[in-house]
Amino acid sequence: MAARVDTPGLRPVALGRTSRIWLSLLGILVFWGLGAWIYQLTQGLIATGMRDVVSWGLYIFSFAFFVGLSAGGLIMASGAEVFGVKSLRPLAPIGVLTAAACVLVAAMTIIPDLGNPQRVWEIFRYPNWSSPLVWDILIIIVYFAFAVTDLAVMHRWTMEAGKRRRTLRLLAYVGLPTAVLLHSITAWIFGLQISRPWWNTALMAPLFVTSAILSGTALIALVALVAHRFDRFELPRETWTALAALMATALAVDLFLVGSDYVTILWGNVPRERAALDLILPGGSWQWLFWLEWVVGGLVPFVLLVTPRFRIRPAVFALSSVLVMVGVYAFRIELVVGGMIKPLLQLPPGNATGSYRLGQTSFQFQGIYHPTWVEYGIVTALAAFLALLITIGYRWLRSVERAGATA
Amino acid sequence: MAAETTTKRWGMVIDQNRCIGCWTCAVGCKEINNEPLGFWWNRILTAAPGDTTGESSATVADPASESIDVPHGTFPELDMAYLPVACQHCEDAPCVKVCPVGATFRRDDGTVLVDYERCIGCRYCIAACPYGIRVFNWGDADQPVDFTIGYGKDYRTTDGRLVFTPDRPRGVVEKCTLCVERIDTGEQPFCVEVCPVGARIFGDLNDPESEVAQLADDGGATQLLPDLGTNPRIFYLPVEQEGSV
Repeated sequence: MAARVDTPGLRPVALGRTSRIWLSLLGILVFWGLGAWIYQLTQGLIATGMRDVVSWGLYIFSFAFFVGLSAGGLIMASGAEVFGVKSLRPLAPIGVLTAAACVLVAAMTIIPDLGNPQRVWEIFRYPNWSSPLVWDILIIIVYFAFAVTDLAVMHRWTMEAGKRRRTLRLLAYVGLPTAVLLHSITAWIFGLQISRPWWNTALMAPLFVTSAILSGTALIALVALVAHRFDRFELPRETWTALAALMATALAVDLFLVGSDYVTILWGNVPRERAALDLILPGGSWQWLFWLEWVVGGLVPFVLLVTPRFRIRPAVFALSSVLVMVGVYAFRIELVVGGMIKPLLQLPPGNATGSYRLGQTSFQFQGIYHPTWVEYGIVTALAAFLALLITIGYRWLRSVERAGATA
Repeated sequence: MAAETTTKRWGMVIDQNRCIGCWTCAVGCKEINNEPLGFWWNRILTAAPGDTTGESSATVADPASESIDVPHGTFPELDMAYLPVACQHCEDAPCVKVCPVGATFRRDDGTVLVDYERCIGCRYCIAACPYGIRVFNWGDADQPVDFTIGYGKDYRTTDGRLVFTPDRPRGVVEKCTLCVERIDTGEQPFCVEVCPVGARIFGDLNDPESEVAQLADDGGATQLLPDLGTNPRIFYLPVEQEGSV
C-alpha cells in the first residue's frame, strides 16, 4: 500500500472521441502554421503585411496578448495565498498551468517576428541593458521558470503537507511581484518611447497589468468551463462568483484607464497625440477597434458578469470570457497600430516604405497594414499550440490529482 | 586657447536658405549606398519655414498637400521651405537605447551605425526613431540594375564591425551612415559633395574654427523635433524671412 506515486503520468486516462478530434485539430493547425513559418523563412518578412511605417503587426499584438494571458495564473495562485482569498484556491493549479503555457508561447511568438531568427541568441551574448526588450526576455524566462517550479511543488504529493504549504506560500509572495514586473516591463517596451506619443504614457504599465489580470482570468474561467463541460470539473459556487467579480472589476479598471487616457488626449488637443486617437474613435478608419474594445469586449461582458442571473449559466460565463479576450486583443491592436500608423513628421512626401511597385509611390503618410495568410497561419498555430499545452497539461494535472487521491 | 582636440565630433549643418529641393542629395545617397528600390535613407520634405519642431505646420494642421513642392498656408499667406531629413545622428539616440543586442551603436565620433552582422531584425529601432528614417530589408533587395553601384565594397570599423555592405542581407535594418567609409578617409559625405548649392556643411563640431561648428553655435541653428531631447548632430539654418528679427 501507499506506493510512491512519483510517475503518475504513466497512468494516462483513455482519450475519448471528443478529445481525439480536438487534439488532432490542434495538431493540424500547428503543422499548418509550421509550414507557414517555413515559407516565411524562405521569403523573408516580405511574406507578411508589415512594411516600414506599420513595422510591427500580428506577431507583436499576439506577443503582448499572450504575455497578458499568462497573468491570471500567478495572480490567482498568489492572490489566494497572499490575500487569503480562499475561494480562488481551487483554481490555482489551472492558473499556474496557463501561466507557464502562455508565457512559453509568448516567447515563441517573438521568433517569427525577427528578420534574423537564427541570431536570437545574441540577446544573451551581447545584451544591451538599456533596452526594455532585454529585460522583458529575462523576466519572461524568470516567470516561466517560476511557474514551472510552482506547478512542480503543487503536485509533489509525496512532499510532507505542511512543508508544501509553506513552500507554496513563499512562492506566492515572490510570484505576485514577478507577475507585476512581467507586465510592466512588457508595457515599457512601448510606454518608454518618446517617438510614439500614443505609447508614451505613464499609464501604460498599470494598463498592461490590469488588462493582463482581465484576460488571464478570462482564460482560466474559459479553461475551467470547458473542463466543467467535458470533464465534470466542479468548482464551488463562491469560486465562480469570485471569478466573475475579479473579471468585472478588472474590466472596469481597464476601461477606466483607457478612458482617462482618451480624456487627457482629447482635452489637451495636441495634434501629434490626437492623430492616433482620431483614427480609433467612432468615425475614424480604425473605429472597429473602439467598438470591439468598449462594447463587444467591454459593456456586454460587464453586464453579463455582474448580473447573477446570467453568470450562473456556464455558457454565458464562457461567452463573457471570450468577449473579454476579444476586447483585450482589440486593445493590443489599437496600441501597436495606433502608435505606428502616423509617423511624427507628417510632411510630404511622407516616410519611405522600403517597397517599390511600378506606378505606385514608395512613400506613405499613414501606414497601411493588412496581415497576410502567413501571419494568420503562424498566429493561429501559436494559439493552437497554447491550447494543446493547456489540454495536455490539464490532463496531466487531473491524472496526478486522481493518483494523489487514491494513494 | 589651444584647441588640441583629438576626437572628432562629426556634425552637419543644412542651410534651408540654400536648399532648392532638387533631391540630388537623396538620389546621390541612393547611388553611393546602392539602396534598393523603395529605400530612401535621405528624403527632402516640403515644410514651412522654420518648421523643424514638428509642431508648427503639418502636425498642427494636415499637410497642405501630400505632394512635394506645394506651399503650406492659404493664398496669399503661402510658406514653403525644404527640410532634408536623414539620420540625425542623435547624441541621445533612442535607437541605440532600444537595440537589444547593440547592433545599432554610436561610435566615439558620434556616428550612429548599424552592424549588419549583429542585427536580429526585431525593428525596435524603427519603433523608437522619431524621424522615420530607418528602412528594413523585408525581403531580397529589389535593384533597378543587375550590377552594384556606388562604394561597392564592405566597410568595417576599426573593431571589425560590418557597418556598410553594398548588398545588405535580408532581415536587417539600414539607414544613413554619414558615409562612414568616406569620412574615415577624410572625404565628405556624398550628400554634401553632390549638393549643387552648397546647402550642406559638414565637419568637426569639436573644432571651434570649423565652419560647421560656428554655424551650429551661432544661435540661429535649430534641430529637428528638439523637444524630444534626442540632441541631433544635424542642425538646420531656418529660412530667413523678411521682417523677421
